[in-house]
Amino acid sequence: MNPSLGYLRGRLGDYDDRVSRAPAGWDVDSPVQAEVFVVWLDGDRLQLTGPDGPQPWILQLGATEHPVEVVDRIVREVVGPPILVHSTSWRRDRDAVILSFVVVIDGGLVGAMASVPIERAELARSEATVAPRDIAVSAVVEHGLRHLAWLVQDDPVVAADLPAPWRPLLAAYLPEPFRSLG
Amino acid sequence: MDDPTTFTNRCACGWEITGSEDEVVDATIDHGRRIHNMEATRGQVLAALHDRAVRSDPVSEAAAG
Repeated sequence: MNPSLGYLRGRLGDYDDRVSRAPAGWDVDSPVQAEVFVVWLDGDRLQLTGPDGPQPWILQLGATEHPVEVVDRIVREVVGPPILVHSTSWRRDRDAVILSFVVVIDGGLVGAMASVPIERAELARSEATVAPRDIAVSAVVEHGLRHLAWLVQDDPVVAADLPAPWRPLLAAYLPEPFRSLG
Repeated sequence: MDDPTTFTNRCACGWEITGSEDEVVDATIDHGRRIHNMEATRGQVLAALHDRAVRSDPVSEAAAG
């Protein structure tokens, strides 16, 4: 299910009865969209946040725009300077191709944004030549953090930029056979 | 009951604005640009507002049905 639509459905019953007219709907509708998961370290827990709370933050991507530049720019303007911006997966959803990004921010930027602790989740497994039918948001975040766990071992830029306290937490996202490497 | 001068727009992210037509259009364009990298025109926002207003009007629905 589209998480944002689920959120919308959940809110319809709470609608302010001062306005009897149903609200118009507004949504990102470009054929390629970015889905941003803003992650921060709260003590020894990873938390998910964003300008509208922990739900996926959807960005329109124009035909000539570079996805990483757009995500970096919008996060900078709305939240503050990110520590890391990394595209971790893609899928088809919302009648578009969705590029998922994990954005790591410093805890000092969270301010009043609502957060939720990130729980471990099962990955959405594809078949050999067929994509998974349904992909939950939690699976996208899990995949993103596993990707980050691999990068911190393999990519010197990520290893240098990610604060040291992230390393033991991300180590738990590495598959067992690789935990002794690096 | 239904105030014809008051409009509401709600983004799929949960953000919502209620006000005059001009207020709703301006706030929607600003929200889209700042939060979602959308470049919406005044005409596009107005079309969404009025399309929804007509479709949710029970008199119009009864006449159409």
